[in-house]
Amino acid sequence: MRLELREITKQFPGVLANDRVSIAVDKGEVLGLLGENGAGKTTLMNILSGLYRPDSGAILIDGTERVFRDPAEAIAAGIGMVHQHFMLVPVFDVIESVALGAEPTTGPLGTFDRATARKQIIELSERYGLAVDPDAKIENLPVGVRQRVEILKALYRKSDILVLDEPSAVLTPQETEELFEIIRGLAKAGTSVIFITHKLNEVLAVADRITVLRRGAVAGNTTPSKADASSLAEMMVGREVQLTVSRGASKPGKPILQVQAMNVLDGRGGVAVHEASFEVHAGEILAVAGVQGNGQTELVEALTGLRPIDSGSLILDGNHLEGGSPRHIADAGVAHIPEDRSRDGMIKGMTVAENYVLNAYHRPPFSTGGRLDLKAIAARATQAVKDFDVRTPSIDTDIASLSGGNQQKVIVAREFGRDVRLVVAAQPTRGLDVGSIEYIHHRIVEQRDAGAAVLIVSTELDEVLALGDRVAVMYEGRIVGILDAKDATRERVGLLMGGAVA
Amino acid sequence: MSTAVMSAVAESAEQRAALRSARIRAVIFLLFTLASFSAASAAGAKEAIFSFWIDKIGGKDIILTFPIAVPWLISGAISGAIATLQFLRGASFRWRAAIGIAAPFYAVATVGALLDGTAANLTVLFTGTLNYAAPVAIGSLAGIISERSGVLNIAIEGKFLLGALAGAVASSLFGVAIAGPIAGLLIGAAVGLLLAVLGLRYKVDQIVAGTIINIGALGITNFLYLRVLQRYPDLNQPVNIDPVTIPVLSDIPVIGNIFFNLSPYFYVAVLLVGFFTYAIFKTRWGLRLRASGEQPSAAGTVGVDVIKLRYRSMILAGALAGFAGSYLALSGTGGFGMGISSGRGFIALAALIFGAWHPVYAFGAALIFGFADATQTLLSILGVGLPPQVLLAVPYVMTIIVVAGLIGRVRGPASAGRPYEQG
Ligand SMILES: Nc1ncnc2c1ncn2[C@@H]1O[C@H](COP(=O)(O)OP(=O)(O)O)[C@@H](O)[C@H]1O
Ligand SMILES: [Mg+2]
Repeated sequence: MRLELREITKQFPGVLANDRVSIAVDKGEVLGLLGENGAGKTTLMNILSGLYRPDSGAILIDGTERVFRDPAEAIAAGIGMVHQHFMLVPVFDVIESVALGAEPTTGPLGTFDRATARKQIIELSERYGLAVDPDAKIENLPVGVRQRVEILKALYRKSDILVLDEPSAVLTPQETEELFEIIRGLAKAGTSVIFITHKLNEVLAVADRITVLRRGAVAGNTTPSKADASSLAEMMVGREVQLTVSRGASKPGKPILQVQAMNVLDGRGGVAVHEASFEVHAGEILAVAGVQGNGQTELVEALTGLRPIDSGSLILDGNHLEGGSPRHIADAGVAHIPEDRSRDGMIKGMTVAENYVLNAYHRPPFSTGGRLDLKAIAARATQAVKDFDVRTPSIDTDIASLSGGNQQKVIVAREFGRDVRLVVAAQPTRGLDVGSIEYIHHRIVEQRDAGAAVLIVSTELDEVLALGDRVAVMYEGRIVGILDAKDATRERVGLLMGGAVA
Repeated sequence: MSTAVMSAVAESAEQRAALRSARIRAVIFLLFTLASFSAASAAGAKEAIFSFWIDKIGGKDIILTFPIAVPWLISGAISGAIATLQFLRGASFRWRAAIGIAAPFYAVATVGALLDGTAANLTVLFTGTLNYAAPVAIGSLAGIISERSGVLNIAIEGKFLLGALAGAVASSLFGVAIAGPIAGLLIGAAVGLLLAVLGLRYKVDQIVAGTIINIGALGITNFLYLRVLQRYPDLNQPVNIDPVTIPVLSDIPVIGNIFFNLSPYFYVAVLLVGFFTYAIFKTRWGLRLRASGEQPSAAGTVGVDVIKLRYRSMILAGALAGFAGSYLALSGTGGFGMGISSGRGFIALAALIFGAWHPVYAFGAALIFGFADATQTLLSILGVGLPPQVLLAVPYVMTIIVVAGLIGRVRGPASAGRPYEQG
C-alpha cells in the first residue's frame, strides 16, 4: 500500500512544526526521515497516527484521502506506530501489551481471550524473527526487547505501514544492527517502513529513499546511493557542518578527580554504582559511554553531591569530598551540566540573569550582607550572554521561553563562569540542534585545553567517540572498561555497552 | 526512560526490597506465633463461654465452653506455619491469603481473651461484622474502579453521606423499599460525574476535589437534616430494608443464622465483588481500565479513549458508593442522621489500600475492620474490656503500617491522580 502525506502543516503556539511537508512511501519500501532535534519529525508522525490533527494538508492511502480523528482510525487504516517513548504498561505482560486495544474476546462479558492472543503473537514473532517471551512482564524486559514488543503491537494490528520514531536512541550499535535486519525483513514481506532518526549513518544503512526535514519543512529528497554523510548533514542543517569535533591532542597532567571503589545506592534498595574506580586528569576528557540507565545518572549525582556516596572515596585535587554538599563541591571547582536541563539545570519562571547567578548569588560581587547587588548581576549576566552567544531578547527574559540550545548556553555560561577544576557534563547536548551542539562541544574542549579535568556522560556513541580522550563504559552500574581513544572503536565500545567483557 | 540494563539494576533492587519486606513479614508472623503461645500459657485453664443462637436470634442457644488457650494454640500454630512458609518462599508467598486463614482463629482467641470468662453470645458479633463489611466493601470497590482507571477517589465518605440522605428521602417519598438504593445510586453517579468533570475537564487536583466533595457533602447533609428533615419528619421515615432469609440454607443450625439471614446489601456486595474481580482481571474492559490507570498513553495510542473510559469509571464508582451509602440509612437505623457514615468512607479507602486495589482482598480487609467494630460494640454492651477507641483505631493503624511499606510495598495504579492529555 502506498502512503502519501501531502502539504501537511501544523502550527504550535510560537512554532511552525510542519510547514507544507510532503512525503511518500511505497509498498515494501523503507523511507528514512532525517532531521535534527526539533525539525518536526515526531509531529508529522503524530499527525499520521491520529494523535494530532493537521491545520492543513492531506493524508492519502493508495491515492484516496483519509482523515484520522483519533489513533483508532489510523490503526484501522493500517498505520502502526512505534513511538519515540515507548507506550507500554510496565505491569502488563507481553500478551496483554500487544493485544491491548485489539483484544480478542469470548463470551457475553467480553472476556479477554488470552489463548488466542498468545497463539497469534507467537506466530508473528516466529514469522518476523522477533524473539520474545509472551508471558514476560514488560518491566522485566530489556529495552531492546520492549522495542520488539512495540513492533509486534503494530504487526498484531496488521499494519501495512510501520513508523519507527528514533528507534535506535535506546539501543547499542549491535542491537541497532539487529533492528535493521528486522526492518529489511518486514520490507521484503511487503510492509512499508518509515524510519525516523537524526543519525546520518543509519538512514544510509537502512533506507531505500531519504527525506530530510529542516525546521519543519522538507529540505530535500535523496537516496543512499546519491548521498553521503556530509551532503546529508548539510541538507539537515542548512550549511556545511563539521562531522568531527576539532580538538588537539590532550596533554594530560596530574590527576584532578580520583574515584575509588565508589558505591552509590539507587534509593530503592538497590546499588546503582558498584565499586567504580577511575581518575580524570587535568587537560583530558574522560567520556562515559553506556546505554541509558546503567548507573550514569547516579554516578554524576554522587560526583556533584546530589546523592550520598554509600562507600568509597571521591577525591578532588587531593581533598576528600565524600559527604560534601552540592555547594561545597561546586565551590571546590566542580562545574555541573546536569542531565535533565529543565529539572536540575535551571529554574523556569526565573530570568536569564537570575539563572546565571544561581551558583554564586550568595557571594560578592553578587551580594553583600544578604542583599543582592542587582546592578552587578545585570552587568555580569549581560557580559555572559554576549560571551556565550545566548540568543535572548534580554537578560530579564524568563529562561523557559528560550530554545533548548540557548537554555543550555546559559547553564554552561554559569558553570564555566569561574575557575573550574572539574567539569561534569551529563548529556550536555541532548535534544539540541547541531549549531548548539557544536558550540557546547567547543566550549567543553576549551575547558580541557585550559587545564580542567572533564568528565562527560553521554548515551550518544558519536559524541563519546568525538570527545573522549579516554572512554569508560558503564554497564549495570559497573565501569566495565576504560579505553584510550585510539582503541575505542564503535564496535568495541558497543560490545562493552551491551555487557560483553573487555 | 529505562534501558536494558537499568531494568536489570532496578529489577534486582526491587527484588531486594521485596525480599526485605518478606523477611519483615516473616518476623512479624513469628512474633504473632510467640505472642499467641504466651497468651495461651497466660490463659491457663481459663474458659471461654461462647454461645450462638441455633435457629433464630433470641431463640434457643448452644453454649460452647472451651479453654481460651485452645484458639491461641491453634492461632499460634497457624502463624508459625505461615512464618515458616514466608521465610522459605520469600516475596512470592501469598501472605494476604494466609492472613485470611489465620484471622478467624485470632478473632475467636481475641474475643475470648477480651471477655475474660464473661459469657457472651457471638451470633450478633458475626452478623455485625458481615453487615459492617457490606457497605465498606462496596465503597472500596468504587475506589478500586476509579483509581484503576487513573482517577484518585477519596470522596467515598461524601458519597456515602449523600447516598444515605437521598436513600432515606426517596424511600420515604415513594414508600417502596427499592426507591432508597436507586436514589443512592443516582446521587452517587451524579457526584461521580461532578468529580470527573472537575478532575478530567478542569484538571482540578483530584485530592482537592475529593476533599471538597467530602466537606461539602457533610455540610449539605447536615443542613438538610436540620432544616428540612427535622421540620418534615415524614421525609425521614424510609422503608427499612430488612434482612432476607435465604431458604434452606438459613435452616442450618448456627451457621444459617450468621450467614444466611443478612441484609440484602451483604449479598449484593458479595456478588459485586465477585463480578468486578472477574471484570477487572479477565475482561477486555478490565484490561483497558488497568492500562488507563497505569500508563494512559499506552492505552491512548492504541485507540482506547482514555478520557471517556475514566468518565464512565467515575460514574460507575459514584453509583456504587452512593448505593452503599443508602444502606446506612435504610438498615434499621431509623433513617438518616447527621454524620451517619461516621468515617466509614475513609475505612473503605483504608480497605482499598490494605487490599492492594484488589476487590477480594479489600473485602477481606473490610471484614477485619468490621470485626474490630463489632467486637468493640459487643464489649461495650457487656461492659468489659478495653476503651473502645483501641479497637476503633484498628483500621487506621493497619493502613498506616501498610502505607509505610513496612510489610511489603503496595503498588497502586501508577498514573492515578495524573491528568491525561489526549492529543
Ligand atoms: N505539543 C506541542 N506543543 C507545542 N510545541 C510542540 C509540541 N510538540 C512539538 N512541539 C514543537 O514543535 C517542534 C517540532 O518538534 P518535534 O516534532 O518533536 O521534532 P522532532 O521529533 O523532529 O525532534 C519543536 O520546536 C517542538 O518544541
Ligand atoms: Mg522526535
